Amino acid sequence: MRKWMSALTLNQKLALLALTLGLVAIGARPMRGSVVTIDARDLARIVATEVDHVGVEELADWIVAGRSDYRLVDLRGAAAFASYHIPTAENVPLAALPDYPFGRREKIVLYSDGGIHSAQAWFLLQAKGYRGVYILRGGLDEWKDTVLFPRLAENPSPADRAANEKRTYMSRHFGGRPLTGGAIQAEAMPVEMPKVEMPAASPAAQLAKKKRKEGC
Amino acid sequence: MTAPFFKYGMFGDETSLVIAFAIGIGFGFFLERAGFGSARKLVSQFYLNDLAVFKVMFTAIVTAMLGVTYLSWIGILDLSLVYLTPTYVLPQLAGGLILGFGFVVGGYCPGTSVAAFATGKVDGLLYLLGILAGTFAFAELYPLVARFHTATSLGDTTIPQYFNLPYGLVVFAVVVVAVSGFWAAGLVERAFGAKGVEERSHP
Amino acid sequence: METRSDTLERWPSAGEESAVAAKAAAPYMNPYLAGVGLGLVLLAAFVIMGRGLGASGGFNAIVAFLMNEVAPEHAKTREWLAGYFVGDASPLKEWLFFEIVGVFTGALISGLLARRVHVEVEKGPRVSVGVRLAMAFGGGVLMAIGAALARGCTSGQALTGGALLNLGSWGAMLMIFAGAYALAYFVRWEWR
Repeated sequence: MRKWMSALTLNQKLALLALTLGLVAIGARPMRGSVVTIDARDLARIVATEVDHVGVEELADWIVAGRSDYRLVDLRGAAAFASYHIPTAENVPLAALPDYPFGRREKIVLYSDGGIHSAQAWFLLQAKGYRGVYILRGGLDEWKDTVLFPRLAENPSPADRAANEKRTYMSRHFGGRPLTGGAIQAEAMPVEMPKVEMPAASPAAQLAKKKRKEGC
Repeated sequence: MTAPFFKYGMFGDETSLVIAFAIGIGFGFFLERAGFGSARKLVSQFYLNDLAVFKVMFTAIVTAMLGVTYLSWIGILDLSLVYLTPTYVLPQLAGGLILGFGFVVGGYCPGTSVAAFATGKVDGLLYLLGILAGTFAFAELYPLVARFHTATSLGDTTIPQYFNLPYGLVVFAVVVVAVSGFWAAGLVERAFGAKGVEERSHP
Repeated sequence: METRSDTLERWPSAGEESAVAAKAAAPYMNPYLAGVGLGLVLLAAFVIMGRGLGASGGFNAIVAFLMNEVAPEHAKTREWLAGYFVGDASPLKEWLFFEIVGVFTGALISGLLARRVHVEVEKGPRVSVGVRLAMAFGGGVLMAIGAALARGCTSGQALTGGALLNLGSWGAMLMIFAGAYALAYFVRWEWR
């Protein structure tokens, strides 16, 4: 056997190697990252500490401050997204989430109408190993109730007054309006159509454009 | 799964540029080693005198393809994170044809023209300048071709996906085609290789 | 047997000195070994960066940079180059640009080691230097347009896409060979 092997030229040896590897490769099933391993205990611990929630008012502050270190993800369908979404959000339906190009260390804030889909999405991304995932507490419903259409106290104490002013300012900023007294109106969505672009100067925009540059 | 390292956040953009430089060095080194800094050697492929272009290119493809297949099979490489250029049927076929024209007219392709310029070829430099001019022209005229440029998209598609074949089977088929091609190339070179490029190469 | 002067014309004009220099140049590497080397470099790019090799993208970056220096307002209206003007970063902070600089360096190293670095013009015996240089320029223009349409050149589409079994890349690769073989007969005066 050895004699036969040494009688081959280098090129023939290379060819033999290639054919052997190719033959074995017939059974190959390349991993595409959709199968994940979960450390259940680790996840339970993370859930218990609740450090991964973001309140709507905190998010509102970030947006007003023009922070660019987060990505806001709207998990609803395209139609819902088009009719209204929180400014600086990008639309990633749940089904597309596992393959969406997030950076592993990016801060990702998820929201849906309430909390169910965002919680499920959070779990998905955690399982895939993303460690910067946050849930918007209360989702879009909370955003509407607290930021867009906040209920202001009727007879505000001095402390309340400062809070009311802030709420009013925020509400107007996002195109909503504060509700006073008992008037609970089923208001139409704000006329302001938030720009559908990515967070300003952001990792998101750059990533989306960089993807185009990843080719030759 | 720990690779691709960059996509797992193991280092940042700045480091990736350094890595680009390092990888480029390897790329340029082997291009020149193979003699691809020489237009006449490259063009000999198309006159059937010296099929080194075919041999080098397909060996590289087979090597990297086997590497990717095995690494992702054993779970080290996440293949879904490796960038795949989307398929646009018509523009890519048309573009490929024009690329072929440019190759045989100019004697280089973009990568090899850089290697040629590095080793002193003035025609390599002119070729580079031509690329810049052509890119400039394309950028200026883009709105006219934009429709064609984005037509007939099939998205990110691989051959196994499109023809619904097992990945490994296609890999094996490519290896067989390549090795057969190498054997045939040897025959062709013996038949046509007498004239043209001076014999500088291998066993 | 052919002598070097039949097939190689140097510019400035060939003298004995260049004939000696030519003799001293080392032979090329076994193409299969070179191919394995190249393939491993490509594999390294996949494993480290999650992308393959390329070249034409780096040239896009250079053009974007030059345009920005000369006429920034106009540059920003170029849709084709839009990806290079994201944020404040220079268009040259582009992976492919650094890679191309590496290609230059690596080729230079290999050339120096093999004593293959000479200022010269590669051409066939029947054509003049001026015509050859013009054809080289023209070839580059064609290549740029082809690469823009095909989303890559031989490195990006044939090598990278080939290894990844990318459908469009294999199509482009076949067409590259087809186009070159088809036109070879008509430009043989340039090389033979």
